[in-house]
Amino acid sequence: MSMNVIEATGLGKRYGSTWALRECTLAIPAGHVAALVGPNGAGKTTLLNLAVGLAEPSAGGVTVLGGLPPGSPAALDGIAFVAQDTPVYKNLSAADMLHLTRNLNRRFDQRYAEARLAELGIPLNRKAGKLSGGQQAQLALTLALARRPRLLVLDEPVAMLDPVARHDFMATVLAAAAGKGEAGGVSVVLSSHVLTELERVADYLILLSQGRVQVAGEVDDLLASHRMLTGPAAEADKYAERPVVHVRRGEAQAHLLVRATADDPVPPGWEAHPVGLEELTLAYLREPGAAALPGPGRGRHTQPSEVTQ
Amino acid sequence: MDIDKGIGKGRVGVSPAGAGGGDRSTAPSGRATAASPIEFRLDAASGVPTYLQLVHQVEHALRLGYLKLGDQLPKVRDVVASLAINPNTVLKAYKELETKGLTAGRPGQGTFIQATLSQVALPELTALRRSLLGWLGTADGAGLDEDGMVALFTSALRDFYERRSGSRTRGGAASGETEGVA
Amino acid sequence: MTALTMPARPKHDAGLRPVPWRRMAWVTWRQHRAALGGVAALLGALAVYLWLTGLQIHHSYATACHPASSIACTINFTGRYATSVNVVRVFLQAVPALIGAFAGAPLLARELETGTFRFAWTQGIGRWRWTLAKLVLLAVVVAAAAGAFSVLFSWYLRPFFAAGYAIPFATDVFDLREVAFAAWTLAAFAIGALAGMLIRRVVPAIAATLTAYAGLALATALYLRQHYMTPLLTSKLNLPGSAWIVSQWYTKGGKFAFPARGSQIVNALQHFCSSSRLSPAQCLSQHGYTWWARYQPGSRFWPFQWIEGGWLLALSVLLIAATVWLVRRRAA
Repeated sequence: MSMNVIEATGLGKRYGSTWALRECTLAIPAGHVAALVGPNGAGKTTLLNLAVGLAEPSAGGVTVLGGLPPGSPAALDGIAFVAQDTPVYKNLSAADMLHLTRNLNRRFDQRYAEARLAELGIPLNRKAGKLSGGQQAQLALTLALARRPRLLVLDEPVAMLDPVARHDFMATVLAAAAGKGEAGGVSVVLSSHVLTELERVADYLILLSQGRVQVAGEVDDLLASHRMLTGPAAEADKYAERPVVHVRRGEAQAHLLVRATADDPVPPGWEAHPVGLEELTLAYLREPGAAALPGPGRGRHTQPSEVTQ
Repeated sequence: MDIDKGIGKGRVGVSPAGAGGGDRSTAPSGRATAASPIEFRLDAASGVPTYLQLVHQVEHALRLGYLKLGDQLPKVRDVVASLAINPNTVLKAYKELETKGLTAGRPGQGTFIQATLSQVALPELTALRRSLLGWLGTADGAGLDEDGMVALFTSALRDFYERRSGSRTRGGAASGETEGVA
Repeated sequence: MTALTMPARPKHDAGLRPVPWRRMAWVTWRQHRAALGGVAALLGALAVYLWLTGLQIHHSYATACHPASSIACTINFTGRYATSVNVVRVFLQAVPALIGAFAGAPLLARELETGTFRFAWTQGIGRWRWTLAKLVLLAVVVAAAAGAFSVLFSWYLRPFFAAGYAIPFATDVFDLREVAFAAWTLAAFAIGALAGMLIRRVVPAIAATLTAYAGLALATALYLRQHYMTPLLTSKLNLPGSAWIVSQWYTKGGKFAFPARGSQIVNALQHFCSSSRLSPAQCLSQHGYTWWARYQPGSRFWPFQWIEGGWLLALSVLLIAATVWLVRRRAA
């Protein structure tokens, strides 16, 4: 079971003289909804393109679904990709898109797809280009899920959607991840540059910044291993008990994001609070030198290693 | 195209209380066999972790009588589909409820209520109330205003439960940790 | 915290059955039926025109052209029929280019330009199979359609050949005949496909295809075609009309005098033959000039068709293979 859906080693991709992705090493375990987060231009699309076989690495390597080369027939069979702006053939009807996808793949659950589109109120004979943005996204997602993949990869799937469409889209994705009954469902890797709602959706986080992996790990582990300490600003610089990730200070008061657990002692005069995922992510994005990466035995339940400054 | 009649139009896997989930199921009715009496909601801005919100809602429903012994909690997939939250969060909440002894999972069927909330006896409630009033008096004497009391209490409450569930997952003893006093 | 268990799926072994090739038939048809329809409409409209005028011409030939030098025959075949055939053959020169540009170039260029390749190339069939199937299917269809059409065109031309008013080898119709027309259409399609993959934008790819095709067609017509087999040399004046004269010139006393076109021969003719009623060659031969010609005999028409068809086919295969290789190798 402990398969890694995406495993990269020193992965790098260069376009011309610019490295879009560099020294990327990560192992995303199966059975999770992994969020790939980072500012625009951080390399998220590049990483996903490499994982689904749309691009070739310039350095290092990447395997998927437990060791398969991306773009190989087995990998293509097991991975469904929905690119940014959910491309569908605009002059084909939804029914045509179903027929097309069925012809291009080994597995296709026609009944599920038709039922799903009916449930969503998407008419089968309307051209895909005439559907609303949310409907196009749902159509693309339905096609992807009807292929019964083991891994669903989504590149900024909700960027152009209104809140209701966004909620419905993510609900579909997460229901697919939940699967039916006791058995688990699809593993999901999705990229986003929107941080709100991340904590509700993801249980594995990868933070890309300037083409490098800055943070990678289970969300629960990350949140359990960080605390926000609030105390006198004058003592902020002297704090050295645990590694400090980010400091925010006022005149008299300072907040320190530190690598500490709830069991670690708090200095007198200081208060400790848990940190939310959005706050954690923003803090790391503001400190490009900081990193929180899993230790050896990546992909299992490990304590994150020390901060590398 | 003929579609199964059980699938409603326009709903994204929503499971209204009393009806079956997004799967092919029977028409909406009061207490169909596959239904759950309660429906979860999510307060994204409350600061309380999602799984705890679910736990509290179950406990609250038990207290108020919406849930009785033997009732089934909503299926994980249905909760996920209606709230758009991670399935692991729901699993975590249900596991917490199971650890508390409130629910039991039946493989292939779902999670069912197997105990009601232990009612705290009246004398204990009175004693607790008295000690709370005492604490409030002390806080007031120290100069804390109402909001300050609420903030302190909320923060301590959160830490208490976090530490309790945290020490449970780590399998270690709950540490009697000192906390700096503001 | 529990992670979700993986679903119990049928074991995926390494030897996965690939998606069958025949699935691409519907995909190709559905995605390109507009282009195919355009090709059908174009060739169909021309075919109707050729059929109607061709019936007329055949009828006229049967009634008025025995002998072929009769006045009625001459008037028709050098007059309005000649005009008709001139219009047709000029237009037909463009047809392979149009087919190649509008059926071949958008094939890959549109996918790349609109981003739909991110969908198509991540499906289970894989990108190079998808490309190869589409290219081969469409290439065969357009080449067959062009071939069938050119059979009709040859039928239309037959009275002209029979009456002697045109020769099969004529530059302007050679590439419109059976094998050559189909091969040129195929080559244009292959050029379009490769251009689409290299340029990745539809309109520039179309422009590039038209340009490349025009260049190739011109180069072949002006320079390449005459050298498929070594031309024969002769100085006999009574070459059969079916021969294709590649070049002709005059010598005097064993040395080169002047080519058969140009200002030099005009001067010579004015000097020697202004009052003569003989043909230029006959007149000049009386004044010591010998006429020479390199020519391809009419019997070589079909071998030349097969040679041209052959190298165009090889080129098309090469271009298609290059396109598929690029699809397989190049990153998005």
